[in-house]
Amino acid sequence: MIEGISQAPEAVLVRYGELTLKGANRLDFENALARNVRRALEPIVPVRLQREHARLLVFPEGRMEAVLQRLQQVFGISSVSPVWGAPCESEAIVECARRVLDDALLALPPGETRRFRVLSRRADKRFALGSMELDRLIAARIVRDEHPLRIDLDHPELVLGVEVRESRAWLYARREPGPGGLPVGTLGRALCLVSGGIDSPVAAWMAMKRGCEVVFVTFHSPPYIGQSAVNKVMDLVRVLGRWQRSARLYVVPFAPVQEALRDAGAEAYCTVLYRRTMHRIATRIAALERASALVTGESVGQVASQTLENLACIENAAGLPVLRPLVTFDKQETIALAQRIGTYALSSVQEPDCCSLFLPRHPVLRGSIATCEEIEARVDIEALVAAALAATEPHNLGPTARMRKVST
Amino acid sequence: MQPVYLDHAATSPLRSEARAALLPFLEGEYGNPSSRHPLGVRAAEAIARARDEVAQALLVEPRQVTFTSGGTEAANLAVLGLARAARARGRHVLVGATEHSCVRACAAELAREGFEVERVPLDARGEVDLAAFTARVRADTVLVTHMLVNNETGMVAPIARMAKLARSRAPTVRIAVDAVQAFGKLDCALAELGVDALFLSAHKLGGPKGAGALVLAPGVSCAPVLHGGGQEHGLRPGTENVAAIVGFGAAARLAEGQRMQLLPRLRELRACLLGRLADLSGLRVIESATAQQPGILALVIPGAPAEVRVHHLAQRGVFVSAGAACQSHARELSPGLRAIGLDDDSIRRVLRLSLGPTTTLEDVVRAAQALLEVSCELERAAS
Repeated sequence: MIEGISQAPEAVLVRYGELTLKGANRLDFENALARNVRRALEPIVPVRLQREHARLLVFPEGRMEAVLQRLQQVFGISSVSPVWGAPCESEAIVECARRVLDDALLALPPGETRRFRVLSRRADKRFALGSMELDRLIAARIVRDEHPLRIDLDHPELVLGVEVRESRAWLYARREPGPGGLPVGTLGRALCLVSGGIDSPVAAWMAMKRGCEVVFVTFHSPPYIGQSAVNKVMDLVRVLGRWQRSARLYVVPFAPVQEALRDAGAEAYCTVLYRRTMHRIATRIAALERASALVTGESVGQVASQTLENLACIENAAGLPVLRPLVTFDKQETIALAQRIGTYALSSVQEPDCCSLFLPRHPVLRGSIATCEEIEARVDIEALVAAALAATEPHNLGPTARMRKVST
Repeated sequence: MQPVYLDHAATSPLRSEARAALLPFLEGEYGNPSSRHPLGVRAAEAIARARDEVAQALLVEPRQVTFTSGGTEAANLAVLGLARAARARGRHVLVGATEHSCVRACAAELAREGFEVERVPLDARGEVDLAAFTARVRADTVLVTHMLVNNETGMVAPIARMAKLARSRAPTVRIAVDAVQAFGKLDCALAELGVDALFLSAHKLGGPKGAGALVLAPGVSCAPVLHGGGQEHGLRPGTENVAAIVGFGAAARLAEGQRMQLLPRLRELRACLLGRLADLSGLRVIESATAQQPGILALVIPGAPAEVRVHHLAQRGVFVSAGAACQSHARELSPGLRAIGLDDDSIRRVLRLSLGPTTTLEDVVRAAQALLEVSCELERAAS
């Protein structure tokens, strides 16, 4: 009996994606990733982290499946494997390899021969055997009569991975994909204009994927629209919050703006003008949050307000770059992503949207900035924005972070 | 003097936080969660919070949680609903040998509907025989249902391993787990167990009676047993028992939060109790050699039947059960205890002491003392 070999997976090996390429910033990225991993796992189980070269080892006190699932929601991770540990000597590694394989074969139908290979990596070059030699040694010792295995280097169904590190060798037979992207927070912060629809939550997720921490703002029109519409947005923000461990939402009462624009004779322009005002308000909230961009779910040509001309009118009112991750997406592509993220079912619940108030029968398709400004001159836009901001309610829907009070 | 309550497996006292959380919904907050006005919206929000609390304890999405009127209804929904939904794929069902009466009754109902129901085989120690179990799973097995913690003995079944082995033989088999006695004591995270369904009861963990839940893995289809409005995603129609559900949510959150501390405490209390009973002649403890929920102690004490002991102990202010409390209405001896190999004489002498979060060292000491006294007294009366 050799001492020190795991009886069950004892850690999760986390592989980074792009961030190994990021040169001088690499340390910042690794720090951010470790912090995000810790934040993602702390609510479910105590963990210890161990940094290795280009890898992170996570030691959870149980709940291995949940840990794997959560890590698959941490941006910057390219893949994860539950790993079994063994001392760095070939006999121990072979014995551990047997255990890993027995466990992997348990879940497979008995009696069928599996195509199999060993794939070793030797991070600790002091280890006596080279990777290829270790592959061969393990394979030769394992593939015996009782294991229905056949070596197939090119098309294996089952890959036994071995990573020989300084202190210990780590073995695995499972490798789950991570979400890729960059660690949330490494690219700063963005404010997403979110509705209860399918698109804007997906846009927020894509901004997170590229390393932005996303704060949310939504517009609500009581008493025309009930509280359940806001609750729906909150539910969506909570789901999105799991991908970054914070979920902050500003709820802006918007009916007074809409009434004023209606009374100013906005008619065909009303949607464009609503959205211009939303962008103005969002820009002010972004300043409070020190967010350096706005994010929207707009996509060219999807609805009347999303022609190139109308997008130009809207963007003109924003004081920050407007990121539109879905700008060239078809609806089906967006839906597929929403399903993967876990927002689709929530977005599909029918609730009215504040943009649907006082809609004209024929909205303008090719708006002009000059006309927008002309209508806006009839009302006191600044006062409306200030009043909306004063009545804005911040909600912290996630486990962390404090909210800033909105003042004008 | 306060009675010593050692019947937590029958029911646990309502937690004060759960009581505080649910009271408003018996008073001013009387809205129907389906109503669109603020009273209704607030009731719906309260249910959503409770769903979130239960979901977080099991590490699932809130929409995976369906509230029911209790453990029995959740078990009916799981066993009948999962088997009926899979009827086209096969008719073979495997049921644990020591299941709670509600699961056994549902299995009998499935047999009447034309399903072929077989038992999960046990080994000589009364534990699941994994090799024999695997051999019994067939390509047309559509459902395996098994308890995580046995309510009469506290024995823990190797559910995660059973699930893996069953799926290696029947990839689409549904695995349903009775977690009523486990929730709040052991980790019941759905993915960790690797199962399709869990059923739970609120009042075993300090929630009110009248609430339970069925938790389903994503993508698992289950046929409703009740038919009506669209509540609970259509899986369990009927106006929600808002107060009970709110109390359930609070109790689940608290129980899960304290779980890590509770288990070692229960172990200590169990050891203390058994230590003090060491002199009880002929005492036998029914427990698992591999995994045991320490809060449940099944003791076989020779001499007077357990029923007699229960009443003698009650006179001394110590409340326990003879076997499972919910079977005390039935005349028949516990089929679960019989299945693990106990003879009828022993079954009549099984005393169940079950500890919970409110159990103190003093309770355990008093209970042990009372047990010893009662034994002496009964022996004297017999001789």
